[in-house]
Amino acid sequence: MIPAAASHHLVEEPAQAAPAIELKNVSFRYPGAETDSLRDVSLTVQRGEFVAIIGTNGSGKSTLCKCLNGLIPHYYVGDLTGCLHIAGLHAAEESVASLSRKVAYVFQDFENQLVRPTVYDEAIFAPLNFGYADYRSRGERALALLDLTRLKERWIWQLSGGQKHLTALAGTLSLDPDIIIVDEPVAQLDPYHARLIYDKLKELNERHGKTIIVIEHHTEFIADYCSKVVLMDQGTLRWMKPVQEALSAVEELTSLQILPPQVTRAAYAADPSRALYPITLEEGEAYFREVARSVSLPGQSATIRSDAEVSAKKEGLIEIRHVSYAYKTVAKERHPVIRSADLHLYEGDRVAIVGNNGAGKSTLLKLISGLKKPEGGLLTVCGRETARTSPEKLADFVAYIHQNPEEMFIEDTVRKDVEYFLKARHQLNDSSFIDEVISRLRLQDLQQRDGRLLSGGQQRRATLAIGLAMRPTVMLLDEPTASLDAASRRELGEMMKELQDRVKLTVIATHDMQLVAEWANRVIVLYEGAIAMDTNPETLFSEPALLRQAGLVAPQMTELSHRLALSPPALTVSRFLERMGIGPISHKEGRWTDGSHEANPAG
Amino acid sequence: MEAMKRTLLDKINVENVKLELMRTAFGRQSTLLGRLDPRILIIWYSIFAVMPWFIHEEAVLFGLLLPMILFTLSSKVSPLVLIIMAIGLLSELAYILIASFLFGGSMEGIWALLTLTLKILIISLASIAVFSSMDPEKLSDALLSLGMPAQFSFGVSYGYRTLPILIEEYHNLIHSYRLRGRAPEADSWLRWRSLLYMAKISVIAFYPLILNTAKRTRTTVEALEVRGFTYSLVNKEAKRLKLAYLRVSWRDYVFLAVSAIYMAALFWTAHAIFPL
Repeated sequence: MIPAAASHHLVEEPAQAAPAIELKNVSFRYPGAETDSLRDVSLTVQRGEFVAIIGTNGSGKSTLCKCLNGLIPHYYVGDLTGCLHIAGLHAAEESVASLSRKVAYVFQDFENQLVRPTVYDEAIFAPLNFGYADYRSRGERALALLDLTRLKERWIWQLSGGQKHLTALAGTLSLDPDIIIVDEPVAQLDPYHARLIYDKLKELNERHGKTIIVIEHHTEFIADYCSKVVLMDQGTLRWMKPVQEALSAVEELTSLQILPPQVTRAAYAADPSRALYPITLEEGEAYFREVARSVSLPGQSATIRSDAEVSAKKEGLIEIRHVSYAYKTVAKERHPVIRSADLHLYEGDRVAIVGNNGAGKSTLLKLISGLKKPEGGLLTVCGRETARTSPEKLADFVAYIHQNPEEMFIEDTVRKDVEYFLKARHQLNDSSFIDEVISRLRLQDLQQRDGRLLSGGQQRRATLAIGLAMRPTVMLLDEPTASLDAASRRELGEMMKELQDRVKLTVIATHDMQLVAEWANRVIVLYEGAIAMDTNPETLFSEPALLRQAGLVAPQMTELSHRLALSPPALTVSRFLERMGIGPISHKEGRWTDGSHEANPAG
Repeated sequence: MEAMKRTLLDKINVENVKLELMRTAFGRQSTLLGRLDPRILIIWYSIFAVMPWFIHEEAVLFGLLLPMILFTLSSKVSPLVLIIMAIGLLSELAYILIASFLFGGSMEGIWALLTLTLKILIISLASIAVFSSMDPEKLSDALLSLGMPAQFSFGVSYGYRTLPILIEEYHNLIHSYRLRGRAPEADSWLRWRSLLYMAKISVIAFYPLILNTAKRTRTTVEALEVRGFTYSLVNKEAKRLKLAYLRVSWRDYVFLAVSAIYMAALFWTAHAIFPL
């Protein structure tokens, strides 16, 4: 019934020839701004295309999208020049209301887009506002399109991040728009849910003829789903190219801090003279099979090291014995999160706790920090039993960095936040220590600003500084790379390596398998609250079945290694090239090959 | 004794308060008052919240208290709310006794103040019963239907939506203060230092909460614009569609009739037994 309705909709649209979006020489300046945010942008998007917009922060991506749904110039009144045709409408003469019926927009911080208490209310909100008598069936159709019907009665706060994103999408789909714009879908979601969103967008694109535009940093998703790529730079549109051609511009993209997919970078490093490179895993596999034929593949080298033996000699810092924890739900039920976990963590460990949403990663960190007390078993941190120690006391040894940086900013400047811990303990005798921490995390210019007003990457750096200034023995970080763009993620990876001489033990909970591959020397896989595996990254990525079960997506290089039967798999681009016997890598490329020389687990 | 004190104090933590709040707000229960039309309930409430102020006969007031207690029990009100009310009531009684003792007041003064307390109790119970059994969504629609501006009634239901976000964030901010602050060292008499410390951070944690909320609002406002909220403010059809489900049924008439008969009977009995 649903596809029928959609195809009917397609037939009804008469002028197939008219493009979905046509911009001619569009410039825009926010009121009071010194410079134009968009400069002379001309862009044509045909109906049914799946376009990615890429560019660094501040390149004008979001401003461009706000021109498409009418927020500019009808809500943000500024200087708009040029000619905009959107879904056959002359945008300057339309209102936000009429444009938003044609153009759906899912915000990057989609949680704040949800304004109603339940999923169903959210789906019918927009059609109800526009006074459509069939608002109920519109809402239900949108929910059915995204397989959300079974969640209809749920409260928004009961949903996972991925379900919230789908609900936000359903809320806009109920207006049956021609164009769907999604701002950075992957940034806030774990890899599994990100793929789910993209599969839905693909279905909407292919089966229902919607034009899709995504703002995206993750080029591996662009390669898998998009047909065209628009590159924005400092308010101008540099080019619009078919996806393979676009992502093969490795040098240009890397100079703008955009990382092409790992397979593309590997192929480029192997042969920088080609015009087109493989961009997906499948293409990469075919490409490197060809390469492998010409060079002799090295034998099954490198045995897997076990770090457990090395660790045994070191000082034990965290001891977890049969620890269990359950939280109470609103329905007065107990929901077990951690089931009888046993774990010993030692000095020098760089531990990554991985697992899908709800596996208990954050809870485990909160148990170690003393914010939550174990309900069974024994948990000692630096010789202190957490059940008998207040979080304030444990803070002398443990620093805990929240997933959401905004929840770490309790003062009005970054510097005051960094000083807070020592001040509270009357230990702030000389400010040179604080100065050193600030300069180490390159916050000198930002230290007098409010942490809430910084960009994502800067906020992460500020929270790391807050943690370091506590002079902790153990540092706990919850999802440190979530919602960061590629450049900030790299930067954070470097910062994490800096921590090693300051902190005896670092534990992170993360979905970011690239970070795991590059940084960790110990990986704990949580599955439904139990420790499914305690190992090192190489062993983890050698077990595709376990990865899938735990809802993890290995780095592309690892997948490629499996397909080419390299065992153990390479975790980074440069290791992969080494293993393939390709190289030496050009100096320029070396910058972008994930720094595997530092990332190799000690040994 | 010490053990009991500890478990009681452990129970009153942010986690449990949070759960109780969530239960009060989102525990979908079908109650006697919840089945009524929200507009009728609001009108009923506004009569019964004002009326006690004009009644002087204690017998009538006690007669009013009885149904209010029944309504409160039938609304399955969270113990947290009742405890807070009980604390308020007990401290009020204590203050009345002390005040009348200090100022050499007679029993008559105490009696008058007790009557006042009784009135407050009736109104509090009525409020608790009505608002905990009414779905905030229905309350919002009822207000819209009774002619309140759409921005106001939307505010009620949006508050309902953001409550869990605010509670969660507030909880995490408290964590931030605790993880970087320093709790008082020695356990003083009745742990008053610890209580003061917790009281202090639970107040100052509101500042970052307010700032974070202000920052988030930008997306919400843009989203409301794109999703036609501003459009619906001027669109009569949208309002009609939204409120079409509100209907006054026989149940509502019966409820109003029974209330009126009960009041009349109460006054009649009171006058018959205690004539003026």
